[in-house]
Amino acid sequence: MAVTRETAATVKEIEQYKYGFVTDIESDKAPKGLSEDIIRFISAKKNEPEWMLEGRLKAYRYWLELGDQEPDWAKLHYPKIDYQDAYYYAAPKKAALASLDEVDPKLLETYKKLGIPLLEQQMLAGVAVDAVFDSVSVATTYKKKLEEMGVIFMPISEAVHKHPELVKKYLGSVVPYSDNFFATLNAAVFTDGSFVYIPKGLRCPMELSTYFRINEKNTGQFERTLIIADEGSYVSYLEGCTAPQRDENQLHAAVVELIALDDAEIKYSTVQNWYPGDAQGRGGIYNFVTKRAACRGRNSKVMWTQVETGSAITWKYPSCILQGDNSSGEFYSVAITNNHQQADTGTKMIHLGKNTKSKIISKGISAGHADNTYRGLVRIGAKADNARNYTQCDSLLIGSTCGAHTVPYIETKNPTARTEHEATTSKISEDQLFYCRQRGMTQEEAVSLIVNGFCKEVLQTLPMEFAVEAQKLVGISLEGSVG
Amino acid sequence: MKPAAGLMEHPFGADYARRTPAPADAMLAAFRDQARSVFEPQGLPGPKNEAWRFTPLRALAKVPFIPAAAADDVDVTAVPAPVAVLPGAARLVLVNGVYRADLSDKIEGVEISTASDRSLLGHIATMASVPMAALNASFMGAVLSLKVTKAATTPVHLISVAAAGSQPVAFHPRLLINIAPGAALTLVETHCGLPGQATLANPVTEIRLGEGAQLKRYVQVAEQSDSFHLAATGIALAKDSRFEGFHTGLGGALVRQEIAAVMHGTGAHLELHGAYALDGHSHHDFTTSIDHHVPGCSSNQVFKGVVGGESRGVYQGRIHVARDAQKTDARQLHKALFLERGPQIDCKPELEIYADDVQCAHGAATGEIDADHLFFLAARGIDPATARMLLVEAFLADATERISEETVRAAFTRDIQGWLSRRSLKAAA
Repeated sequence: MAVTRETAATVKEIEQYKYGFVTDIESDKAPKGLSEDIIRFISAKKNEPEWMLEGRLKAYRYWLELGDQEPDWAKLHYPKIDYQDAYYYAAPKKAALASLDEVDPKLLETYKKLGIPLLEQQMLAGVAVDAVFDSVSVATTYKKKLEEMGVIFMPISEAVHKHPELVKKYLGSVVPYSDNFFATLNAAVFTDGSFVYIPKGLRCPMELSTYFRINEKNTGQFERTLIIADEGSYVSYLEGCTAPQRDENQLHAAVVELIALDDAEIKYSTVQNWYPGDAQGRGGIYNFVTKRAACRGRNSKVMWTQVETGSAITWKYPSCILQGDNSSGEFYSVAITNNHQQADTGTKMIHLGKNTKSKIISKGISAGHADNTYRGLVRIGAKADNARNYTQCDSLLIGSTCGAHTVPYIETKNPTARTEHEATTSKISEDQLFYCRQRGMTQEEAVSLIVNGFCKEVLQTLPMEFAVEAQKLVGISLEGSVG
Repeated sequence: MKPAAGLMEHPFGADYARRTPAPADAMLAAFRDQARSVFEPQGLPGPKNEAWRFTPLRALAKVPFIPAAAADDVDVTAVPAPVAVLPGAARLVLVNGVYRADLSDKIEGVEISTASDRSLLGHIATMASVPMAALNASFMGAVLSLKVTKAATTPVHLISVAAAGSQPVAFHPRLLINIAPGAALTLVETHCGLPGQATLANPVTEIRLGEGAQLKRYVQVAEQSDSFHLAATGIALAKDSRFEGFHTGLGGALVRQEIAAVMHGTGAHLELHGAYALDGHSHHDFTTSIDHHVPGCSSNQVFKGVVGGESRGVYQGRIHVARDAQKTDARQLHKALFLERGPQIDCKPELEIYADDVQCAHGAATGEIDADHLFFLAARGIDPATARMLLVEAFLADATERISEETVRAAFTRDIQGWLSRRSLKAAA
C-alpha cells in the first residue's frame, strides 16, 4: 500500500511540475494567476496549432517585460489591478440560474423597460436556456445561408482550425501584440471571439452580431474579434446588446481588428452596457478595449458607432488607419457616465493615403459624480494630400458634481490637408426642462428626451432596431441623475 | 554630474552650478537649493513627459552651455538696431538677463528694483509642474522686480538681449511684476539676440494682479535662428482684475512660451492671444493653462500661425474649470496655415470641466491658403505673390487686431509684414 501511495504521489508531483496545477475536469477551470503554464493550458484547451501557442507566449513574455507599465495617461482613477488574482481561463460552466425568479429584480425591470422578449431575457441574465430555443434555430438557419454565400462567421477558435491561412495573415496585423499593455495581455490569454470574412464583391445581406453566434457565452473577458472585408464587400456588425449583461468578471481587455480591402466597407456598432457598479461606485467592470481598423484598400470605408453606457471604467479608442487612397473613417460616439463611472474614450484617425477623410462626432454626457473624457488623435501624414478631418465633441453636464473633459491631439504634416475641431460644453437648461414639464412629462422623461436630442446625430447611425433600444437605454442610464 | 537612469544628459549639472555666481543673500540661496532638489531628479523633460511630447529638447541638451555670468568676453554697448522704438515708451534693457541701467530710460510710476519681491518669488510659477521654472530657479541669476501702485502712464518696453562670447551661454532671469489694487501697466517685451554662438534664454515671470488691477503684456520673441528660448509665466488674478497678453514668435531654433494663469477672484478677465510666423527649422511652442478657480470669470484665447520651411508650430492649451467655478466663460481657438510642404503643426486644446453652468468652447483648424480666395484676388488683377501675402496678413490680423494698444499693434504688425516680405523675397531668389 505504501508503494502505491508513493507512486501516486510521484505521479501527482510530475503532473504538477508539468502543468503547475491540477485540472479539475468537472469545473473546467484553471487556477488563478497568469503564467506560461496557464497560457499552454488555454492553448491546449483550444487544441491550437503550435504557431498560435508561440504567438501567445511571445506576447506573454513581452507583457512580462512591460512589468507594471500600465498606461497611465488616461484620466482614470482605479485601484491597482492584481493580474495574478484573476482567472484567465474563467469557469465557463458557472452554475446557470434555474429560472428568471433568481435574477435580480432590478435587472428584470430594466429588461422590461427596454422591451426585451422573455426568452432573450433569460439568455442575457444567464438562465439556462433550452436547446431548442427559438432564436438559436433561427441563428442556425441564417448561419447556413451565410455559409452558402461564402461568408465565414464563426468563433475565432474554430477559424484557427478551419481557416488558418486567413487567421495567420490577418490576426495581429492591425493591433500587434506589442501595441499596448492591454492588447499584449489579450494576445497572450484571449479565449475566444468572432471571426468574420466577407468574400469579394459580396454585400452581406444581414447584420452580423455576436448575439447570433450561439456558442459564444462567457468568453467576454478577453475577447478577440477579427473582421476582414475583401474587395468590394460590405458588412455591418453589431457587438453587444442593449440590455445590461450579468457578468462577474472585473477586468475586460478585448481586442477588435477590422481590415477593409479595396472598395470594402465595414460598419461596426457597439452598445456597451456592462455592469457600471452601484450608486456608491462599488464594483463594476473595468473595460480596457483596443479597437482598430485598417482601411488598407482604395476607397475603403470603416464606420465605428458606439454607445457606451456601462462599465465602471471605460478605456476605449476605436481607431482607423487610413492607408488606402480615398479611404474614409467615421467615428460616432455617445458616452454616458452616471454615479461614479469614469470614461476615457475617443478615437484615432491616422491619415496616410491621399484624399483620405475622417469624421468624428462625440457626445459625452456626465451626471452624478462621474468623469467623462474625450481623448482623440487626428494625425495627417506628410503624404496624405487633400486629407480632410472634421471633429465635433460636445459635452453635456448634468449636475454640479460631475466632470467633462476634452483632450484632442491634432498633428498635421501636410499643407493640403484640412482639419477642423470644435468642442462645446453645456448643460440641460432650466428652460428646456420647464418647457417639457409644462407639457406633462415627468422630470425623467424630459431629461431622456433632451439627452436623446443631444445624441441624435450618433444614434441615427445605428441599425434601426438597435437605435430604438439605444434611445430607451439613454434614458435609463440617467435615471436618478436629476431632481 | 551623471543624470539618473533614463534621463537625458544635459549641460546643467554640477559644473554648471559651480560656475553660476552665488546668490545675493541666504534666502535666495535656500530658494535655489530647494529648486535644485526638484530639478536634478527630473532633469530636462523628455519625450515621455506628456506636456513636452511635441517639443523635444535633445538638440538643446547637446549644446555645451555655460552660465552667461561666467562668460567674460560678452560685450554689448547698445540695443540691436532692428528692435523697434516704441513711441512714448520707456526702455528697460537687460543683457543676458542682467538689468543695465546705462542702457535703460528712467521710468515714471514704476518701482524697479533688483532685489526680489519676496511676496511673489516662487509663489506663482510652480516648479513642480513647470520644469522650466525649476531650471530657472536652480540657476537663478538676476531678479528684477517691477512694482506699480497706480495707473502708470508710460508703457515700459523691456528689451532682453542675449549675447554669447566664444562659448554658448544660458541665463535664467526672473521678473516679478506686482500690480497693486486698482493700478495699471502696459509692458512690451522684446526678446532678441546678437549673432554669434547659441544662447538659451530661460526667463520666468511671476505676475500678481491686485483687485481691479490691469496689465497689458505684449511679448515678442525674435531670437537668433540658432538660439533657444524657454520661458514660463505665472499670472495670479484677483477680483475684477484684467489681463491682456499677446505673444509673438518670429525667430529662434526652439522657443517655448508657457503661460499659466489662475483666477483667484470673481470677475477676473483674461485675454491671451498670439501669432507666429515660422520658417527654416524654427520650432515654436505656445503652451497655456487657464485655471478658473472661482465663479464668474472669463478667458479668451486666439492663436494663429503660419508655417513654412521645415518649421514646427505647437499649441497646447488647457482650460480647467473647478467644481465651484460656475458662470465661467472660457474660449480658445488655434488656427494654423501651411505655406508649403515641409512644416508640421501639433495642436492640443484641452478642456477639463467640473462645473455645469459654464460656457466653454474650443476650436482648432489647420489648412493651406484657400484656392478660391487666391482666385478672387487674381480675378481682380492682383499677382499671386501679393495675393498670398495679403491673405496671410489677413489671417494673422485676426489675432494681432486683438492688441488694444495701438502703437504696439502697429509695431507687431510691421514685424510680421517684414517677415513676410523677407520670405517672399527669399522665395523669389
